[in-house]
Amino acid sequence: METYDVAVVGGGPGGYAAALRAARLAGSVALIEKGPLGGTCLNVGCIPSKTLLRHAEVIELIHKARQWGIETGPLSFSPEQMLARKNRVIEKLRDGIAAVLKSRKVAVFQGQGVVHPDRTITIHTPEGMRTIRAGSVILATGSQPLIPSIEGMDRVRFHTTDTIFDTARIPKSLAIIGGGVIGVELACIYSSLNVEVTIIEAADRILPAEDEEASRFLHQRLTKKKVKIWTGATVQEMRQAGDGISLTVKDASGGVGSHHVDEVLVAVGRTPNLSGLSELRLEMNGRFVAVNSHLETSVDGIYAVGDLIGGCQLAHVASAEGMVAAANACGQRQKMDYRVVPRCIYTLPEIASVGISEEEAKKRGFRVRTAKYPLSANGKALAMDEDGFVKIVIGEPYGEILGAVMVGPHVTEMISEISAFMYLEGTVEELAGMIRPHPSLIEAIGDAANSLL
Amino acid sequence: MAEEIRMPKLGATMETGTIGTWLKKEGDRVQAGEPLLEIATDKITIEVEAPASGILLKTYYGPGDVVPVQEIIGYIGEPGEVVPDSPGAVFPAGDEIPQPSDGKIRATPAARAAARRLGMDLASVRGTGPKGRIQKEDVEAAYQQLQQQVKATPLAQKIAGKENIRLADVQGSGIRGKITRDDVEAAIAAKREASESGESRVQTRKVEGMRKIIGERMSQSAFTAPHVTLVTEIDMSAAVELRKQLLPIIEKKTGFRLSYTEIIMKAAALALKLHPAVNASLKGDHIIFHDHVHIGLAVAVPDGLVVPVVQDADRKGLAELTAECKTLARMARENKLTPDLLSGGTFTISNLGMYAVDAFTPIINPPESAILGVGRIHEKPVGVDGSIVLRPMMTASLSFDHRVMDGAPAGAFLTELKQLLEQPFQMLL
Repeated sequence: METYDVAVVGGGPGGYAAALRAARLAGSVALIEKGPLGGTCLNVGCIPSKTLLRHAEVIELIHKARQWGIETGPLSFSPEQMLARKNRVIEKLRDGIAAVLKSRKVAVFQGQGVVHPDRTITIHTPEGMRTIRAGSVILATGSQPLIPSIEGMDRVRFHTTDTIFDTARIPKSLAIIGGGVIGVELACIYSSLNVEVTIIEAADRILPAEDEEASRFLHQRLTKKKVKIWTGATVQEMRQAGDGISLTVKDASGGVGSHHVDEVLVAVGRTPNLSGLSELRLEMNGRFVAVNSHLETSVDGIYAVGDLIGGCQLAHVASAEGMVAAANACGQRQKMDYRVVPRCIYTLPEIASVGISEEEAKKRGFRVRTAKYPLSANGKALAMDEDGFVKIVIGEPYGEILGAVMVGPHVTEMISEISAFMYLEGTVEELAGMIRPHPSLIEAIGDAANSLL
Repeated sequence: MAEEIRMPKLGATMETGTIGTWLKKEGDRVQAGEPLLEIATDKITIEVEAPASGILLKTYYGPGDVVPVQEIIGYIGEPGEVVPDSPGAVFPAGDEIPQPSDGKIRATPAARAAARRLGMDLASVRGTGPKGRIQKEDVEAAYQQLQQQVKATPLAQKIAGKENIRLADVQGSGIRGKITRDDVEAAIAAKREASESGESRVQTRKVEGMRKIIGERMSQSAFTAPHVTLVTEIDMSAAVELRKQLLPIIEKKTGFRLSYTEIIMKAAALALKLHPAVNASLKGDHIIFHDHVHIGLAVAVPDGLVVPVVQDADRKGLAELTAECKTLARMARENKLTPDLLSGGTFTISNLGMYAVDAFTPIINPPESAILGVGRIHEKPVGVDGSIVLRPMMTASLSFDHRVMDGAPAGAFLTELKQLLEQPFQMLL
C-alpha cells in the first residue's frame, strides 16, 4: 500500500493550498479529487462568474459611453464566444494548478476518495480501486448548491451554479431564488445580456448578511438595470409550463401570485459535501464538520477545511485554512485567525468589506465611531462617471480599525488597503496620514479616515 | 551649613549600599543619633543614625536604590536652607547655575521620580536642563522613544500608552517578535490579575532588604554548589550529662546559660581542626584551606536570618563560647550586629533543635563549603550491647559542596563530630 505523510481529499482552493503547503513541510503528499482540479471556485464559482461579469461590465460601459458621446453602433454579442473565453480562462488556471502540484511532487489521484478512520483512503479511480495510507488526512471536500424543498421542484428543470455557467442559450427571463452574493452577481451578468431578471429573496433585503447601506445602494442600481427584486418573498411551488417554468410566489404582504419565467436559478446557499466521509463518524457543527481552532476534527489526525466546516465559505478563507491545517498536519501548532477576512461581491458596482460592522462592533462592546465618504466627492470616481462610498468603523479610545465597507468600482481591490492596516494593526491615525496618489479612488479611504481624527 | 548624610561604609569590603526605608521624611525634624534610615548591605540591614540635629531637608534616593559608599544621600539643616537638587551638584549660590563636576548623573527630583515610575535608567537619558541636568520631560521623552524602539504595532503602542504598559517588558508574539495588541492585552490582564490579587485578602510583601539578600544568597548557593548531605544519629547521653554539670558553673561565671549549641560548636570546631578539608572555601580555581576555625551560628530574627561569626571557636572554652554565642544572638535579634561580626566564617551551624525537627538538609552559606544542621534531642530506643534501651538521640546533617570535597573526608569529619559528642572528654585531648 502506498503511504504518504499527508493526504488531502478535495482539489479546490482549500485542498490544493493544503497540498502545496504540506509538500513544502512534509515528505510525501497525495491529493485526491473526483472532478476537475480547482473545485467549485475555479470551475463553477468565482472564476467563471468573474469572467462573465467582465463581459457584463464592458456591455454596461458601452451603454454608458453613449451618454458621453461615444457611439459604437448596434451592440451585439456571441454567447458561444463568451462561454469559450470563460472556458479558456478556467483551463489555463487548471493547468496552472496541475503544473504547480506536479512541480512540488504532489501525487494527484483522480476519483472519489473514501476515508477510513485508520487514515487509509480507498480511491475509486476510473481504472479501479486503489488504497493509500496517510499519516494525516486533510478533508477539503467542499460543498454543493443547497436545494430547498419547494413543491414541484422534482418535476422541473432548474439551474444551479453547477450548470448555469455552461448554458449558451440566453433566456428571455430568469428568476433567481436567493438574493445573496451568488444571486446578485448572476443578476448583473444576465441583466447586462438583456434578460429580464427577478430576484426572489426571503429576507427583507438582498445581501442580508452585508452592510445595510451597501445592500440598499446595490438594490437601487439593480432596479435601475430593470432587475425586479422581491424581498420577503418565498417560492411556494414550481411547475413546468410550456417551454418555461411557472412559480407561485408569496410576497412580503402575504399575497400569492404566479410568475412565469424561461429559466430558474436556485442560489440559496451551499451545503457541505460529506461523500466518502461517513465512516469517520465526525462530530458535526450543524450541517458542517466540527473543528477546533487548529482545524482538527473529532478524529485524531484528521483535519477539515473550507466549505466543509462552514464559516464564511469563501475561497480565500479555505486556502488560509488549508495552509494552517497542512502546517498542523506536519507537526506545527498553528491557530486559524479569522480577524481579517475580506468579503467581495463583484457586482456592478462592486461591494467589498472586511472586519466587523458598526452593529457588530457595538454588540462586542466597542465604543464605535463611523465615517462614510461618498465617491461622488472623489475626483477619480467623477472622471470615471462612477459612484459609491467608503465607510470605516473604528473603536475608541485607540482608533483601532474594526472594519470597512466600500461600494464602487475596484473596491474589491481597494479593500486590501484596509485589510493591510488591520492585519498590521495600524490605527486610524496611520490610515489618515498615509499619502495616496491623486487622483485615485483610494483617496476616499484617506478622506474617510481624516474625518475621524 | 547643612549637614551631609552619606552612605556609610560598614565593612572593609562594602562598596555600595542599598537604601531601605527612610524612617524620616523630608521636612521632619530629627535629633542627632536618632535612627534616620535603613541601609541594606549584602549581608544585613542596618539603621543609620542622623549625623546632626535639624530638619531633614533632602533625601536623594528611595528604597531599592543602590548607592556607592560615601555618596551624599541627603541633607539635614535649618528650615529653609538651600541644598542642591541632585546629590552630585554643589550648592546653588544665588542665581549661578550649578557647575558640572564629575561624571555623576544630574537630574531633578521630579526626573528621578519619573525615572523610577517608568523604570528608566537615568544614565540613558540626555538632559536638556541647565548644564545638561536631566529634567522630568527628558525622562518622559526618552521613555517614549524607548517605547517606539521596541517593535510593536501602532495599535499595540497606543494601547500600551493608555494602559501604562512598558513595551520593553512585553514579549512579542508577532512576526519576528513584534508586539501585537494580543500581547499588550495579555500584559494588561496579567497586571490586572496581579493588582486584583493584591486587593483580596491575600497579603503580599515585596521581596526586599534582608529577605532579598537571603533569597539571592540561598539561590546562588543551592543552584551553583552541588550539595551532598550526610546524616548521622548521635547518642547525646554524655553531652546531656556534661551540660548538666557545667551549666551552673558557667552560669555563675558568665551569667549565661550553657546550651547544646555551644557544646556542638566546640565539638565541630575541634573536628574541623582535625579535618581541614571541610574547613575550606572555593575561590575561583582555588580551594582555600583556612588555618583558623570561625564558626557562624544561624540566628533567626524577625523576617529573616543572620549568621554572626564566633572567631577561633576551636580555641575558646565552653564558658567563653556560651557568653559569646548568647551575646551575638541578642545583638542579632536587636539588629545591632556590625558587618565585622557577620563576616569571615569558615563553617556554619544551624540548630533547629528547639523545634520538633529531627533532621533537615541545610543550604551551605557561601563562600563556606559545609554546614551542619542540628535536629532535636529526644529519647529513642537504640540497641546497646544486645538490648534495646532509650537514649537521648540527636540527628546531625552535614551538607557539603562536592566541588570542594568528597564524601570520604566529609564522612570522616561527621564521624569525628559524633565521637566527640558521644565521648565529650575527648575534647580535652
